[in-house]
Amino acid sequence: MQVSTKWLKDYIDIDLTADELAEKFTLAGIPVENVIHASEGLEKVVTGRIEELKAHPDSDHLLICQMNIGEENLVQIITGASNVAEGQIVPVALVGANLPCGKKISKGKMRGVASNGMLCSADELNIEGDSSGIYILPEDTPVGVPAAEVLGLDDDILEFELTANRGDCFSVIGLVRELAVLTKKTPRFPEIKFDEDDERNAEDLVKIGIDAPDLCGRFSSRVLTNVKLAPSPDWMVKRLEGAGMRAINNVVDVTNFVMLEMGQPLHAYDYDKVTWHQLTARRAVEGEPLHTLDDTNRLAKGGELVIADAEKAAGLAGIMGGFESEITEATKTVILEAASFNSASIRRTSRAVGIHSEASGRFERGTNINGTVVALDRVAQLLQEMGACSVCKGVVDVYPNPKPEIKIKFTPAQINQRLGTNYSDKEIIDVLEALGFKIEPLGVVDELTDDVVDKFATATKNIGKAAREIGKKSNVESFMKNFGASIGELFKNTDAKAQDEVIKNSGVEGFMKNISETFGGIAKSVEIKISSAYEATVPDWRNDVKLPDDLSEEVARIYGFDNIPSTLPKGNQQGRQSATQNFIDKIKNILSGLGMCEELSFAFTSEAMFDKMRIPADSELRRAVPIMNPLTDEAPLLRTTLLASIFENAARNFSRKNEDVRLFDVAPVFIPKNLPVTELPLEKQQVVGLLMGRREPKGWSQNPAQIDFYDAKGIVEEFLAGLSINNYFVEAGEHYALHPGKTAVFKKGRDILVMVGEVHPAVAEALGIKKKIYVFEADVETLQKFAAKKFSLESLPKYPSISRDLAILVEHDTAAGDVEKIIVKSGGKFFKGVTLFDVYTGERIPADKKSLAFALEFRSNERTLTDEEADEAFKNILAAVEKDFGATLRS
Amino acid sequence: MEQQIKDLRERAGDAIKNSATLKELDEVRVKFLGKKGELTGLLRGMSKLSAEERPIVGKIVNEARSELETLIAEKNSELKASELQAKLASEKIDVTLPGRRVHEGHFHPLTLTLNRVKEIFVSMGYSVEEGPEVETDYYNFEALNLPKDHPARDMQDSFYITEDILLRTQTSPVQARTMERHKDNEPIRMIAPGRVYRRDDYDASHSPMFTQVEGLVIDKGISFADLKGTLEDFSKKIFGEKTKIRLRPSFFPFTEPSAEVDVSCVMCHGAGCRVCQGTGWLEILGAGMVHPDVLKMSGYDPDKVSGFAFGMGIERIAMLTYGLDDMRLLYDNDVRFLKQF
Repeated sequence: MQVSTKWLKDYIDIDLTADELAEKFTLAGIPVENVIHASEGLEKVVTGRIEELKAHPDSDHLLICQMNIGEENLVQIITGASNVAEGQIVPVALVGANLPCGKKISKGKMRGVASNGMLCSADELNIEGDSSGIYILPEDTPVGVPAAEVLGLDDDILEFELTANRGDCFSVIGLVRELAVLTKKTPRFPEIKFDEDDERNAEDLVKIGIDAPDLCGRFSSRVLTNVKLAPSPDWMVKRLEGAGMRAINNVVDVTNFVMLEMGQPLHAYDYDKVTWHQLTARRAVEGEPLHTLDDTNRLAKGGELVIADAEKAAGLAGIMGGFESEITEATKTVILEAASFNSASIRRTSRAVGIHSEASGRFERGTNINGTVVALDRVAQLLQEMGACSVCKGVVDVYPNPKPEIKIKFTPAQINQRLGTNYSDKEIIDVLEALGFKIEPLGVVDELTDDVVDKFATATKNIGKAAREIGKKSNVESFMKNFGASIGELFKNTDAKAQDEVIKNSGVEGFMKNISETFGGIAKSVEIKISSAYEATVPDWRNDVKLPDDLSEEVARIYGFDNIPSTLPKGNQQGRQSATQNFIDKIKNILSGLGMCEELSFAFTSEAMFDKMRIPADSELRRAVPIMNPLTDEAPLLRTTLLASIFENAARNFSRKNEDVRLFDVAPVFIPKNLPVTELPLEKQQVVGLLMGRREPKGWSQNPAQIDFYDAKGIVEEFLAGLSINNYFVEAGEHYALHPGKTAVFKKGRDILVMVGEVHPAVAEALGIKKKIYVFEADVETLQKFAAKKFSLESLPKYPSISRDLAILVEHDTAAGDVEKIIVKSGGKFFKGVTLFDVYTGERIPADKKSLAFALEFRSNERTLTDEEADEAFKNILAAVEKDFGATLRS
Repeated sequence: MEQQIKDLRERAGDAIKNSATLKELDEVRVKFLGKKGELTGLLRGMSKLSAEERPIVGKIVNEARSELETLIAEKNSELKASELQAKLASEKIDVTLPGRRVHEGHFHPLTLTLNRVKEIFVSMGYSVEEGPEVETDYYNFEALNLPKDHPARDMQDSFYITEDILLRTQTSPVQARTMERHKDNEPIRMIAPGRVYRRDDYDASHSPMFTQVEGLVIDKGISFADLKGTLEDFSKKIFGEKTKIRLRPSFFPFTEPSAEVDVSCVMCHGAGCRVCQGTGWLEILGAGMVHPDVLKMSGYDPDKVSGFAFGMGIERIAMLTYGLDDMRLLYDNDVRFLKQF
């Protein structure tokens, strides 16, 4: 919705600038997205008459003009235009002008002759028109007035970005209504009067019907005769243009004008083209042809609402009229339609056919069903005033189920409570009445809430307690007298002063004071609850107000959100994160501590990525959740593995020549429970890491080697240590995307903790990365399952340990991990640990062997171990590895 | 004899003085004070002396010995000091050479921002709740008062999996899920951070996936003023004490009244600059009082309790905090970018 400030000012006296208006509207919940100052750049452009025109002495195309700009002296201006003549009135940019086209006008000379301004073309003023020469103004244009004024550009446009609930503001009158409340001014809406000057009754001429009352709530119609199609008057053209609509002819323009003015979309049918002069709102039949105004032939899907004549659909209701019944030069008689359509249905159809018109936008937000007839009347009035038609008697109005008035019971206390404010009844009612609500007082209601009853119960209990206390200290007579009389007095007198008197005279001052305070306190708190109740009748143009909560918004936005106090919720609650959230934080802490950067990746992937990752067609990883409407064909699936996204990020970094890349991510993957998807997929949080590049950052004294498998594996080991996951084992693993000989899995029983490996060279090549890449992948839930829940301290040894080195030769294929397992198993009770510190293959040993050197540690927790005991244990270990692996001690 | 001792003392004194190295000094010590040294020799000759002379000479010898020992000790520390100095001088290195670095790890700037937001709300008593990213239409829309064909659904173009399952367009469904888990109008104070998805083209200010934090407070007597105070408090904590907020009435189907919330521009503090497009304000979140229908749908009684809710984009806050002008920087994961945080 856009509207010119001039149009608003037709109906209300305001002296606010466009920017001030925009601010006022926006802060009242009617957002102005943009203010267009049409006159911007035309501040120093005036109208001027060419009094004298002479050829330039030194040029064959320049002319010297003496311009009358309404001042005493003529202004000399040189122009190169050829369409000028003496006596013409043209726009003149004076010195200092800063034109919309970007030109700045200063004093100058052209070929030696002074020029103090410029005659302007349409282009230079940024207006429509022939730009081949100077813009020639009508002969009767006054001289020396701002050009913006005569060009109709002295107007500012407000562009609204209306929220979906405020259909009523989709009209000039709706906006003025709001403005009137905000500025406390009285609007002047147009008085509607016209003559039904055609003796015939409309209802004898047309038949209107509603076959789908759920989609069309009301269909009102007038018949206009003796229609004379002509261009609209200037003022109307300007208003329409200000609202962003093009003028077409008087009939169409007036229907558009009234739609903009009142928010009620209208349609005009050529009476003679409507078969049997009958219009019915009905559902379209599947395959029914729809020939719309834009001369497009569509076939109905079936079910959309159409307005049909006796033969065929004559338009898509509320969206676009039909081609055949369009108004033309030949039109003599017009059927005017003002209807109310179901917004959801309009929205569906409008989206389905891809037409979003001014009319459909209004119906989608909801129009005022009670405003159809007045809109017809307004059209009749305007066309009649233009001498463009006669008006038949009566309205044909089909309104099967008149909309009931919406009444909302509320108490001001309720509104104040929701807002946290303290507005008086009057303040609240004033705002609502100004907005068009009718307010009926319902009298005082005492809503006896649990809260109030509780307070009274407590107070009564306290009185009882106090009475007992007093009773101990006085005799029956005086007690009864004092107590009874005082209570009685108290309840008689509501006024605090009188109560004080009672207390003073009662002789049990302290006691009575307590009672008075208790009851007084309750009375005060109860006062809020038993404030007056009212009933608000919602004005029929407001479809969005249904509940007391909606009323609270009206009050808040008109008084301004700025005027609402700032408080904090009462009471305390304990904030916390879940254990899994804390665990994920820990994972991120550890991995960033290990030199890895956290990435953030999209959840989308594609078959092409799976291909790059060498994932076979029948793999579970290919069973991904498909998106019905992906943004691009490159991302139609939800990822089943985080490797897919981290590979993309690695490739991007590599292509940007970032050589040392260490990334990690913790994010969900999506595993469908069934395909096609019928229920929510499983979302599993996973961890993924990727490393490539140098072992240490580039530097004069740094290790320049590229990382290898064991760097990646080391990170995984540190990672698990950080999570307190111990006693796992490692074995060779398999993954489509990984090197078959350089993949390991960390396991606990049958659970895989982490998979780590070198990326398969074919995958790296497909990713365009000419480097070795290492990745690891883990499942958060599994990690969390095995992470030590409790910390257990291992005490420091009290006695020294004994070390022995075990260097053995084994078959080349023997896995060091297997050897280590046997060492641990055969180590005996003093065995404390093993560290593999050397691995050797080469000339000094047979080609089919490798040498493994382990440092073994033995220690007793009770005493200092003897060398003999260590030797004994060492021998047992040696014997075990000899037996299991055919190992020989390396000499 | 006495003369002999005196000579020896002088010679030894000179020798000590002239020693240039610790080694020379040690040689001097051996020569005079060693087992076979001259002073020891003299002592040995004492046996030839008379009983009366012996203690006198002995005393002189011992005096000489202790004197020489002192001299040697002094010279020793002097030489040691100069040798250390020479050693230190020879060990001088170019301290301007860069140090040995390790690969540093970093949190993503969005995580840093989100952690800060979480910290603030957890300290205010909010618990951190989560929900699925693939959501049902019911939780994503209907439970939030957005029935099918509601025009407000146009504001959020969604990625659909089926007619009824979609990638959540907001973290608000976690609200409904959390409310359903509570019974008897139990009070709630929660935030729900998470990824959300909208079918927006990927450009400098849009992304098909981004991060939101949703907040919800339900209790007896919660008011719009409480919402305003809470957001004011949060904005000051995240953007600085001088931050002001402005609430503009707006429309969300799940709140009533609803507001869009601006903070005073973090760059110009309200004076108007490029970042705030001259307005002095930056829109950072949407908020409002929970609509009674939303409370009802999730089992709360709007006559007994009320609540407020808010939602904010973490990307926006991160971009403002770190002065980023292109959202794509956050998702490109260029390590040169990531290493700056």
